[in-house]
Amino acid sequence: MMPIEIGTVLYAGAIGLVVIGIAGIVLSHHLFRIILALVIAEAGANLLLVLSGFRWEAIAPIITGGGAAQTMVDPVPQAMVLTSIVIGVGVQALALSLTLRAYGAYKTLDIRELQRRMSADLAGEAGTPLPQSLEEPVGGRPLPAAEGDGR
Amino acid sequence: MTPLDELLLFSGLTLVLLLLLGRFSYAGKVATVFYGGQLLFLAKMADRIVDGSIVTFSLQVELFGQQMSWRFDALSWFFAVITLGAGLLSSWYASGEWGERFRRRGGNLWLLHVALAANVFSMLILLGSGDLLALFIGWELVSWASFLLMTVAGGRAIQAAMRYITYAMSGAMAILAGIVLLWSHAGGLQYGQIIDVIPQLSQPQVWWLVALFGAGFAVKMGLLPFHLWQAAAYAETPGPGAAFFGAISARMGLYAFILVLVQLIGLARLSELTIPFTFLDMRDLWAWIAVLTIILPTYIALRQNDARYLLAWHGIGQGGYMLLGLVMGDALGSAGGLLHVFNYATNQAVLFFAVFAVMFRTGTADLNKLGGLITRMPISFFAMLVGIIGLAGLPPMNGFVSKWFVYRSLMIEGEPLLFLGAVIGTLGTILSVYKLIHNTFLGQLRVEHVEVREVPWSMVAPMIILMLLIIATGVAPGLVLDWVALVQSAVGLPVVENTLGGVELASGSLDMLWVVGVLFAGFGIGALLFYSGGRTRQVHQLDNYAGGHFLTAETRYHYSDNFYAGLMHLIKPWYRGSFVWLESTLGSLLEIAASLMQRLYGTLHPSLYLLVTVVATLTWVLL
Amino acid sequence: MNTIALTVVLPLLAAFVVPVLSRVSPLLGRLLGPLTLAYTILLTLQVWLGMEGKPFSIALGGFQPPLGINFYVDRLSLLFTFLTLVTSLLLWPWRNETEPRQYALTLLLAASACGLALSGDLFNIYVFYELISVASFGLAAATRSGAAFAASLRYLILSGLGSVLVLCGIAIVYLQTGTLNLAQLSQLAPETLNTPLGMSAFALILLGIGVKGELFPVNSWVPEVYAAASSRVSGLLAGLVSKLAVLVIVRLLVLLFQQESALQLMLILGLLGAISGELAAWRAKDMNRMLAFSSIGQLGVIFIAFSIPGETGLFAGLALSLHHLLVKPALFLLAERWRGSLAGLRGAGLASPVAGGLFVLLALSLVGMPPLPGFWAKFLLFTGLAAQQSVVYQVALGVVLLSIVIEANYLFRVVMNLFQPAGDSSVAVTTDHSWLNLGTTFLLSALLIAGMLFMGPLGTWLEGVAIQAADPVLYFDTVFSVSAIH
Repeated sequence: MMPIEIGTVLYAGAIGLVVIGIAGIVLSHHLFRIILALVIAEAGANLLLVLSGFRWEAIAPIITGGGAAQTMVDPVPQAMVLTSIVIGVGVQALALSLTLRAYGAYKTLDIRELQRRMSADLAGEAGTPLPQSLEEPVGGRPLPAAEGDGR
Repeated sequence: MTPLDELLLFSGLTLVLLLLLGRFSYAGKVATVFYGGQLLFLAKMADRIVDGSIVTFSLQVELFGQQMSWRFDALSWFFAVITLGAGLLSSWYASGEWGERFRRRGGNLWLLHVALAANVFSMLILLGSGDLLALFIGWELVSWASFLLMTVAGGRAIQAAMRYITYAMSGAMAILAGIVLLWSHAGGLQYGQIIDVIPQLSQPQVWWLVALFGAGFAVKMGLLPFHLWQAAAYAETPGPGAAFFGAISARMGLYAFILVLVQLIGLARLSELTIPFTFLDMRDLWAWIAVLTIILPTYIALRQNDARYLLAWHGIGQGGYMLLGLVMGDALGSAGGLLHVFNYATNQAVLFFAVFAVMFRTGTADLNKLGGLITRMPISFFAMLVGIIGLAGLPPMNGFVSKWFVYRSLMIEGEPLLFLGAVIGTLGTILSVYKLIHNTFLGQLRVEHVEVREVPWSMVAPMIILMLLIIATGVAPGLVLDWVALVQSAVGLPVVENTLGGVELASGSLDMLWVVGVLFAGFGIGALLFYSGGRTRQVHQLDNYAGGHFLTAETRYHYSDNFYAGLMHLIKPWYRGSFVWLESTLGSLLEIAASLMQRLYGTLHPSLYLLVTVVATLTWVLL
Repeated sequence: MNTIALTVVLPLLAAFVVPVLSRVSPLLGRLLGPLTLAYTILLTLQVWLGMEGKPFSIALGGFQPPLGINFYVDRLSLLFTFLTLVTSLLLWPWRNETEPRQYALTLLLAASACGLALSGDLFNIYVFYELISVASFGLAAATRSGAAFAASLRYLILSGLGSVLVLCGIAIVYLQTGTLNLAQLSQLAPETLNTPLGMSAFALILLGIGVKGELFPVNSWVPEVYAAASSRVSGLLAGLVSKLAVLVIVRLLVLLFQQESALQLMLILGLLGAISGELAAWRAKDMNRMLAFSSIGQLGVIFIAFSIPGETGLFAGLALSLHHLLVKPALFLLAERWRGSLAGLRGAGLASPVAGGLFVLLALSLVGMPPLPGFWAKFLLFTGLAAQQSVVYQVALGVVLLSIVIEANYLFRVVMNLFQPAGDSSVAVTTDHSWLNLGTTFLLSALLIAGMLFMGPLGTWLEGVAIQAADPVLYFDTVFSVSAIH
């Protein structure tokens, strides 16, 4: 009875983490939160991987010298997860450095603002500038009536 | 080396030579000589064609399991004669002063010559196709070569060319879809395989094939509703290019139509395809499309003020006659349709030459700014007159014979409504071409055109040749009818029994020799009466008075603007512009779809799409 | 034969040596990359000649499959390895201002792409895929403009999410089958993966890897990144990396997910991608965007081709992929000299007729004018589609034909603009008169013409590659046979 319960909880947790991560990416506006959500999603996926190789009532897959052969947890997913965590860390580091650079260029971490400015910059480089509101009205500001006009 | 090898190699050689040497001033003359050479090679294979045998190309290519071969039979040979004749005369026209002035005015003469040679070469390749894949390759080459020729002038021609290429690519894709469908049924694309498999196909499958192939070929032919590209594209092409286009370019669609729908699928099978909820079948549908194509563009032509546009619109309409005759399917009708291909080519070419001769001397093709040039350019006038009489369908020109055949066939087959439509179309033809000649040559000569002379020999010679050809084949249509009979037997249509002067039928024959003889006898008597009466005096055009005032050169007495005002008053409401509306609607739909896609890709949260797709797919999979 | 592993190892090594070497001697740092690539190309040719057309498998580190990771070398993998190395060399960033870090990233891309093509283990594929991702994030941001950083970030987030999905998919596969070795999976797949759960694993992996493969709808990153990155990098990403992603998906389809619904899913997504890409390209106002959307459309067509079951699908897809690999980088290199809006390109073709002529040639091949190679690739696709019974394939045929018409329209709009005489008001175009770009474009076009001339033997050879790749039994036998090379 118990292994099944824990199993379901663990699977639900792993999938839940992935869902939370995806929700964070889709719903957040702040760049750093999006990256954190990505981290959470990756953690969920890794957990899912570990679970896929998990055997109940088994020991860690380490060969200690001598002793009777016991059921071990499947080591392959654990190796996969190690690799995957490292890859994740690398990608997250790259993401952070890119975030720093983007902040340095645009001074904002709001993805709406970032996308708007990026599109404007790309369009400007491409020679097809996006229409923007003018800084001042066309034709200048009407001057007040000249003195001595009698009006 | 078979004659076809020699012809195609020589034609390719022409293209290469013009690519390399086209910038020199004598290039036009060299090109003309080479086209003449190609005609000679074509004549060399004439005896084999007359025997009814096929001339094959030595090279056969096999790729991806498909075999491609090329050959000329009577059908190919007939169209090739017209193609090479048109190419020869167009090149001749362009080789002398016309080309010099074109180059001096900034036109790209090299590109014109190269494009013309490319068109001729690719048309020969298309005409020689021995299986459907070779047909498609030739079709695409012809389409792109035409595009090249259309872009020579620049300016407005570019928009016309872009419109053309969109239509042409759509048509080509429809043809490709048809070819691929046929391949999936037949397993191969050889003509023999197709003919074997067609009877085994079900009606819906044949429907799809006819629709796809028909639509693709109709685009090139300029049949309704795919005709909107043709007028501007042909009219904006510089001189000889326009003549070449008008003469033969659209007929490539007719060639493919004959090949696929008449020879491979068969008119009998077309008759079996009934259209639900009507009494029509597919053959009737094609006949009605042909008749509508005759009527609508010719009535649009008579509203045009630019002579080139008038001729181009007119040309769209004439294509309907050829299709109408062919679809009738009997000996006389199909002979009339095929003969009209030849006749129309000669007539349209000579008309375009005359119009461009006027444009060469006066600088304009605007019908409201011309008039009275008969005294200054008599040969051009005569050329245009011959062309007009031919197109209107009056003896002694060749157009009369082909139209007579078509009308006769319509009456024999018992199609009164189609006959009525054809006659209405002929009325429109006569009206539009009369406007052309009246506004250009007749009436009052403008002050600025008093110094105009006749065009130089390099431009007059092709016109004279064409005139002689038109009259000769009008007097003795049997010359061309012999070839037409060969084509009919090659394609599988009933063969017309012709004599030198026309046909002899139980229900009434046509002998042009007698008709022309009587006609000229009548003219002779009239001339005799006229000239023997004496008492004629030549006066200046302005030595006259009207309304109590003497005429002066500054005032326009020539009625040219809004020429058919009375007729327009009656039928103006019928010009609804429906096809243009249809085209613009399709364009707008496409633009809306494109904007939607653009918004799709400029989204804030791309991950949202991923999420939605994952959820949707998982739901689909797990349920 | 083991030397094939050097195609991964040597560029990887060089990638880490180049930044260090550049501090010592900049010239050596510039040359090391191309030299390494050239040497690995020679190695690949050597292996090609030695293998005599028969596939073989190497067990890395001496550990036997299915527990050990193996490299599976058949004609398809070797072809893509060769193409990766050659394309990386051709599109090498030669400019003087290039930092050694960009060389390192390109070498990393080349190494991981070779590994991706050769690998025979599912998780190994994932690792190489991530390596490619990292390299492409860096390359996309290499121009160091604010827009480049932002575009690269958006790409990263989408790609990261995709990787998460791929991991979930791999987890599901492992749960069902208990192995990661592709050969063993191909044997176990018909019983274990032919279930809804297996299909959902495929969907996750398809969408995850599809981010790189410009699959609809996860291709929103494409226009932004291609516009922000330099043209060589765009050519590399569009031409090379996308094909590798498609290659991985195709391998998985052949070996693991042999059910029909998998093909149908890919067909529908490919269909949507083709039509959306071409329609969006129609509205594009500058060259880079137009080429980016055109790339999306073409990859949609490639996905449609690969969704035809059997060898026909593989043959058609391979032909289309090779054609796109030749044409797209060439077009991107031409776009380098024609930056700026399309309206401002008036007369540019008259100013440099060679470039204009090459553009026309490439456009004609892309549209599919016979007898250029593009037509034959499309013809294979159409005959394959028409032979299928299901109505979805017929609809796909119609959609692809429509997309060709739209493509012809917008490409030749540009051509007309190029060859019209420049008016007095044409915008000054930032031209890059580099002969290197033009020379590379010329070389690629020459290869295209050569392909056209030798279409027969090329077609037969490609068909052989496709037949070999479509055979899962051959795969299994090669990896687990007694004569596998250890």
